[in-house]
Amino acid sequence: MPVNRVEHLWNDVVDAPTRALLARRRPPPFGGKRPVLVPVDLYDLVYDGGPRPVRELMAEYPASCGEFAWRALPPTIELYMAARASHVPIVHVTYDTRKETDPSGIHPTNRKRRQPDLSLYRIRKELSPLEDELVVYKKRASAFFGTPLAAFLNELGADCLLIVGESTSGCVRSSVVEAWSLGYPVAVVADCVFDRSDLAHKASLFDMHLKYATVVELAQARELMRNA
Amino acid sequence: MRDFEDYCWRDLASDEMRAIYSAYVRERSLGARPALVVVHPGEPVRDGAWQSAAARLLGEARRRRVPVIHSVSPASLPVEALYSKDEELCARPCESAFFSSDLERRLKTRGARSLLVCGAPTSGALRATAVEGKSYGYKVAIAEETVGDESGFLHKMALFDVAHKYADVMSLEELLAQL
Repeated sequence: MPVNRVEHLWNDVVDAPTRALLARRRPPPFGGKRPVLVPVDLYDLVYDGGPRPVRELMAEYPASCGEFAWRALPPTIELYMAARASHVPIVHVTYDTRKETDPSGIHPTNRKRRQPDLSLYRIRKELSPLEDELVVYKKRASAFFGTPLAAFLNELGADCLLIVGESTSGCVRSSVVEAWSLGYPVAVVADCVFDRSDLAHKASLFDMHLKYATVVELAQARELMRNA
Repeated sequence: MRDFEDYCWRDLASDEMRAIYSAYVRERSLGARPALVVVHPGEPVRDGAWQSAAARLLGEARRRRVPVIHSVSPASLPVEALYSKDEELCARPCESAFFSSDLERRLKTRGARSLLVCGAPTSGALRATAVEGKSYGYKVAIAEETVGDESGFLHKMALFDVAHKYADVMSLEELLAQL
């Protein structure tokens, strides 16, 4: 995948000396016969308050990604349709809300938590898993940590992964690092990942492309799935 | 202790960004019974300032008998200035010091209950180790001077993310005062 097709995604925040490190990129080229799509943490909570700037939402909806979440929704719906049309399995990843798995003090990050409305961790309705699709429930940042995801992927015969969801700098990134560690070629679909901060989003997108993954745009992801 | 946002990322984080991340602002401290995990870079990192700060931290840790474990990529040797041959080496085949390694077992054996992490690169192995340390349930502390990266931008952004979400980031002096 030529680097310059996606460079525009981070050129306004990543300085030139840092961008020059791309000359030494080490992720394996993306590709395989059996891709699997892994969407991470696309639950109602991150769309809370509607498509407004995060700064306007943060008092009332502290976990919302606002306009960034809503902007990514149509391309993500399109990606799911393309995956299902090409028989690319989707393994959905979301937060495990069972009360007995949520002892005090054990949380994925150090954010001060308000009493969360647990029903808001339901996967967004447009992105609901179909009856025969797998769902992984996680407690930590990475989709792999303490979950059967690695086993599911082996059972599905996955040989490369497309990872989407949120947040780019948090759960998506740590899942991508573990997917790379497990030896998968990984594509991150830029139109379908988002964060609460545009800077954190772009910096992590660049850094993942540099070290662990190939960042692609929606059209490229569709093409990769069609040709699989 | 300095203000939560008064560290190396201060020039990158706008007021709006600070506001968005304000839910992560909290008291920071070194956890009880820490082990020091030294993340040796897989490739040399040109800016060596982090090495002298890490050497100072190591000296203090050794003096206080804090367990020290060196996490080393099979592709490289430990940084000479930081490694003493009577200390434990733990192979790091991937990015995080935990992934596919026996670090967790070594920490248990040494009686560690929390982590102190230093090394390089900040945006690579160091960051992945802090995230996975937090995932394993450890309180993680980092002194900002003791970590380094090829890119100042990636260094600052990685420490910003790690400080807010996964670890207690402070200055070396602030950390040493608690050791």
